[in-house]
Amino acid sequence: MAIALARSAVRGLTAAPVTTSIAVFTIAAALVLAGGFGLLVTNMSDVLSRFGEELQVVAYLEDGLDARAQRRIATSVSTVEGVESVSIVTKEEALARFRETADGVGLLEGLEENPLPASLEVRLRAERRTPEGVDVVVRALSGLPGIAELAHGQEWVEGYARFASLVRAGAIGLGLVLGVAALMIVANTIRLAVYSREDELEILSLVGASRSFVRIPFLVEGALQGALGGLFAVGLLYLGFAVALPRLEYGLELVLGNASPQFFTSVQALTLVAAGGALGLLGSATAILSWRSPA
Amino acid sequence: MSRWERQSPAIGGDGAVRTYHVSKSYIAGTFALHDLSLEVRKGEFVFLTGSSGAGKTTLLKLLFAAERPSEGQILVLGRNIARLRESAIPSLRRRIGVVFQDFKLLNRLTIEDNVAIALEVVGTPRKEARGRAFRMLKQVGLQHRRYHHPLSLSGGEQQRVAIARALVNEPEILLADEPTGNLDPDLTLEIMDLISSASTRGTTVIVATHDMSLIERYAKRTIRLEGGRIADDTPDLRHASP
Repeated sequence: MAIALARSAVRGLTAAPVTTSIAVFTIAAALVLAGGFGLLVTNMSDVLSRFGEELQVVAYLEDGLDARAQRRIATSVSTVEGVESVSIVTKEEALARFRETADGVGLLEGLEENPLPASLEVRLRAERRTPEGVDVVVRALSGLPGIAELAHGQEWVEGYARFASLVRAGAIGLGLVLGVAALMIVANTIRLAVYSREDELEILSLVGASRSFVRIPFLVEGALQGALGGLFAVGLLYLGFAVALPRLEYGLELVLGNASPQFFTSVQALTLVAAGGALGLLGSATAILSWRSPA
Repeated sequence: MSRWERQSPAIGGDGAVRTYHVSKSYIAGTFALHDLSLEVRKGEFVFLTGSSGAGKTTLLKLLFAAERPSEGQILVLGRNIARLRESAIPSLRRRIGVVFQDFKLLNRLTIEDNVAIALEVVGTPRKEARGRAFRMLKQVGLQHRRYHHPLSLSGGEQQRVAIARALVNEPEILLADEPTGNLDPDLTLEIMDLISSASTRGTTVIVATHDMSLIERYAKRTIRLEGGRIADDTPDLRHASP
């Protein structure tokens, strides 16, 4: 019976090549839209994660502390909850860094003493790289002896967090809208395929085929068409990625910064194909389950 | 058990089809069938006749559960059509062969596959289904065209394929709705002989036709419908008691 059902599904796909092609390319088009957006979001997420990794608190140390005292403070800071690592930037290192910037050279001319303080660069644990996480660490550090001032770019952190959540919410919202739109398109395309083969369904029903015998091949066909559409979508996206990327470099730089765009990993590409299969299955289920035999 | 089933002690006897005060209405106030009661015994051959719109096709549709009666009860092979669950319809249809005027063949399949599909839907293994389909095609004289597609066949040949499909499951009832309506006189007799031979093997046959020459030639029991009611029920003259 399973073989008969599979044969019926394949027969259905090959019997109406035009309808099958329309369904496959409709699904591919829907997935190219969703997948293209997914590609953008994935790349933006990578950039956002990198921004997140750079989040840190800088603790400026009081003047006059010797290297041993600085190390002692660094050790005590590293035990604070939420701190991942601490590195010491001595006055000399701070000056060297300052000199590396073009403006720095002119500003320091004429000064006899190094005015820059030594500092501790406090790297936070991943889960603490949020406005609240930074706040907790800053409060813990502010009471420690030897620390003159704390810099943590709170406003920037909050801005970053807002941007990140906005992008994620947008991704989910747009993904849902695209998903529902794709589902409706697929369901209607497959419904047309069902109507174009109504005679066949009627005949099967007349010779005593059960509901599942009539309907399962359409579900299999829908899933196959969807997966095929997913494959086409991955191919088209890859082609678009390879061809259009050099031409869009400036525009992408605005969105992604200096990060170089990455294509889907093989798991992500397979997920898109599977999503196509699921869309096709769901679309054909919507179409075929509402079909009533005229006989 | 329904009121009718309780009141009808003969149910389950040798009746293949029994209808009791059956009416079918598609539009309120107008009846395609009205208060129709009849019985067809197992193995019997019956012609249903009447002018267009008399209710022949509607009655056949009720018998293979393509329609439900608006009123009354219908027993087909012991199953009450009026109360039959949707999921039970396929198993009833596997016991009934149906032949239509327009053949209803799948043009994308070979004629052998068209016949075999009636077996495959009930789970017969493909090899066995094809073997039985071939033997059935042999009976209707089309074994040499087994790999042809319906559209490359003449009307008479297509109807023979449809009959082969209807009979390949050895159904208990064969329903034919104007099976010769699209055929010339020579082919008409050929098709009717095939249908008639099924009856001689014990299959109950009900043929809807308005071709009076056929009815006269075969002289079987004939039920004439008029306006959805039985106008005449003439017995099989060859087997009638003197």
